[in-house]
Amino acid sequence: MNRDMHDLAAGSLKHAKSAGADGCRVSVYIDRRVEVSYRERKPENIKEAKRNYLTIDVFVDGRYSNQTTSDLRPAAVKDFISNAVATTKMLAEDPFRSLPDSKYYRGRAETDLGIFDPSHKAFSPEDRHGIVKTMEAACLEKGGDKVISVTASCRDTALEALILSSNGFEGYQTQTYYTAGASMTAQGEGDRRPNGYNFMTSVQKSGLPSPSAIGVGAAERTLELLGSSKIKTETLPIIIENRNGSRLLNGLIAGMYGSNIQQKRSFLADKKGKKIGSDHFTIIDDPLIKGGLGSQLFDNDGITARTRTMIDKGVLKEFWVDWYYGRKLGWEPTSGRPANVVLPPGKRSVEEIMKDLGRGILITGFIGGNSNSTTGDTSVGILGQLFDEGKTVQAVSEMNIADNHLEFWRKLAEVGNDPWPYSSFRTPSLVFTDVVVSGT
Amino acid sequence: MRVRTRRSFLKTTAVAAGATAAAHVLPVGWYRLAYAGEAGYFESEFGITDALCQRALTAALAKGGDFADLYFEHTISNWTMLEDGKVNRAYADVELGVGIRTVKGQQVGYGFTQDLSKEAVLAAASTAATIADGEARKPAGEFVTLKTDNYYPLKRLLTSVPLDVKLPIVQAVNQKAFELSPLVVKASVGFHDQQKRMMVVTSAGAKVEDLLPRNYLWASVVAEKDGRRERAGWNLGGRKDFSFYTPEVVNRVASGAVDRTVKLFDAVQPPAGEMPVVLGPGLTGILLHEAIGHGMEADFNRKNISTYCTMIGKQVAEPFVTIIDDPTNTGMLGALNVDDEGTIGRKTVLVENGILTSYMHDKISATHYKLEPTGNGRRQSYQHYIQPRMCNTYMLGGQSTPEEVIKSVKKGIYVKDVSNGQVKIGEGDFAFYVSQGRMIEDGKLTAPIKDMNIMGNGPKMLRNTTMVANDPKMSESGAGWCGKGGQRVPVGFGLPTCLVKSMTVGGVKA
Repeated sequence: MNRDMHDLAAGSLKHAKSAGADGCRVSVYIDRRVEVSYRERKPENIKEAKRNYLTIDVFVDGRYSNQTTSDLRPAAVKDFISNAVATTKMLAEDPFRSLPDSKYYRGRAETDLGIFDPSHKAFSPEDRHGIVKTMEAACLEKGGDKVISVTASCRDTALEALILSSNGFEGYQTQTYYTAGASMTAQGEGDRRPNGYNFMTSVQKSGLPSPSAIGVGAAERTLELLGSSKIKTETLPIIIENRNGSRLLNGLIAGMYGSNIQQKRSFLADKKGKKIGSDHFTIIDDPLIKGGLGSQLFDNDGITARTRTMIDKGVLKEFWVDWYYGRKLGWEPTSGRPANVVLPPGKRSVEEIMKDLGRGILITGFIGGNSNSTTGDTSVGILGQLFDEGKTVQAVSEMNIADNHLEFWRKLAEVGNDPWPYSSFRTPSLVFTDVVVSGT
Repeated sequence: MRVRTRRSFLKTTAVAAGATAAAHVLPVGWYRLAYAGEAGYFESEFGITDALCQRALTAALAKGGDFADLYFEHTISNWTMLEDGKVNRAYADVELGVGIRTVKGQQVGYGFTQDLSKEAVLAAASTAATIADGEARKPAGEFVTLKTDNYYPLKRLLTSVPLDVKLPIVQAVNQKAFELSPLVVKASVGFHDQQKRMMVVTSAGAKVEDLLPRNYLWASVVAEKDGRRERAGWNLGGRKDFSFYTPEVVNRVASGAVDRTVKLFDAVQPPAGEMPVVLGPGLTGILLHEAIGHGMEADFNRKNISTYCTMIGKQVAEPFVTIIDDPTNTGMLGALNVDDEGTIGRKTVLVENGILTSYMHDKISATHYKLEPTGNGRRQSYQHYIQPRMCNTYMLGGQSTPEEVIKSVKKGIYVKDVSNGQVKIGEGDFAFYVSQGRMIEDGKLTAPIKDMNIMGNGPKMLRNTTMVANDPKMSESGAGWCGKGGQRVPVGFGLPTCLVKSMTVGGVKA
């Protein structure tokens, strides 16, 4: 661990106490990130920086505030903390605000989550430029004469975080992220210039696909959009491609947050133990996946991370409840937010499933839209491919799906065998029947 | 409690200066700093001298490049929030740093640092310099301070407003919300204020400082009726002085949230399919911003990836349609005295009487098109490089009355509030979430509608705008953000009542 980080965090705790805080949690972060992008076979942007900042949660006489600063000169930090404590004293008392009971800090898994890539230090400018150039070249070649523009980019981050609390919590985590991808704009019909992209993120460089595969994927995904149009409004089966599953799942998950339940903003508040989806619908929150993008040993409160089944064969089992809203609700805390959302995969590939579905739409992207966590109503624009008995008929765009989450997940008929590993939402492709798809 | 100096107070205090007694004893003369463009803040507070800027720009051009610039920023942000009847939480953020850019043609090298020491600034400049590979260039020998107008005059800095002055405003919105309807069961209320100080120094010898306020008061309300719950919110704000937050504004924020929530109990989802859409005045300007405005940002056009890239000088709308981007609207969220690369803000006519006349430019795109930059070079913070972005984008009013526009529709929808818009630049396709609206049947507004998308294509929507009313209105929201390329900037927008003769409405019934 970086000694300076520890000294800063420990000194800040001490100063907060002496300024009058009766509880305090200090988080210190350092991240170094580098971004390289290419267009027209030369660098378009090169960006490099190191960030260092401190966040403090202050508890004074049942009062609470949270403050962050990037001005870390010693005198400035002292003044910042003194003011944070003084400010907190002016707020209304809230009997539910406190640091977590320290018993929730215990039992931390003694495992290496594999989320820090030790080879990151050796990741050189030449490596970065090489990856980006290869992605761009592969995309340009695959895109051929349809290419108007290709941009390829690579971003890597090394993050170091230390959290100390006045009631004995200490947590230290290092993590690396690599994101690589390309986007392509193609010449479509008339003035249309379809844009497609292909980006992957992994905590290990070795977890990314080859740069040429990423570039080719970007071109293929763009070319698939050519000739798109809307079709008439009809009720169809749909398949949501694995990488896009999180978009609709997030709308459902918003109803599972303790904060929304306590604030009467959840359509799922009274559904614990009840069936809200089909038998194919299971969600596990697994913070301990090796190499998972959302993997963690403790959450933002410092509560020890545990694997939980949130929805089991359509039955709602758990909510995401942090320490504060747990106290307000009188419930045991779980964790305030998902770590890695896992839907256990099925047995068949998308191609096999499409053959059996007849006419339907494979959704490869969403646009706009929203989900209402109070009512469960959702509506979102889609683009993708109309297929019939496994064969693509045409690309579709300017279309929409709308439903209520309490109805929608009951229509989940099958899940694919293809969980998406490049996100903290490890969703396979999701197959729904009888969905109204709006068009002309 | 010890009295603090102005200098240490400003550097370190985020949540409400009133947290310390010092806030109450600050001399009146201190407030003169509220005048935008007054030079010297970064030198007096952080020791950023012209000599250091010279050295940094020299380092940024050490390998050549067309130009380089420095963007210093010190931003203090506060959120004061109420839940369950008490102002029981406050959040704050202090950002300090410099971003350094070297530009060679359309290529950008960028480094930033939070440490304003000479060594750290020069290291960031050396990072930016790596984009070029030629002979070193020298920056201008001296800097000339640019004069700006002031589109966000302040009587006092919001960071000087004590917390105990803000608290009653937040509490009053909560109290009013519960008074307005017995159906209200929960209210979340908050006040956000931000003060961004920035200084741009360019290798061409320009230097300019600005102080940008941003603030808003918001409420989100949950109501219950017959076992059903609905939620909606409302906010008012912009680049305002604190005196904007009067009892009338308190009432408007509370009633805006409560009225919108209670109305939802009668709302239905319309049938799906294509139909005429009437866009109400004000907030629906977000459609103009997303579906049309983004395609007119010059970076997308110089790369030939916008659907508008071949349309300059061409008819893109009916002759009664004129669209403007304007950073000079006083107090609006997208107001700018000077943009983030040192270009003085000015009004740009994008579409004049139906003809596409201009894109929105930063320096890179202006150089590409051999034009003057339009003052649209913006960035989220010192951690981000410049992109062409909108400021306040609006359509001028037409000849029809709003009643005539609605009366012209036999069956369609009237859109009052929209959110969560997104556009695909190359195709022009867009989707927006309609949170408030009405059915139109036989030329009359009927049942409220909610929670559905409207879909369309930007250029097609512009061509299909067949009526424009004489009631232009700007959105009064202070909470609007626009996202592009991973960066968020505050923007304003506006629209008169308009008829779009056909759009796809995403309902639940086929």
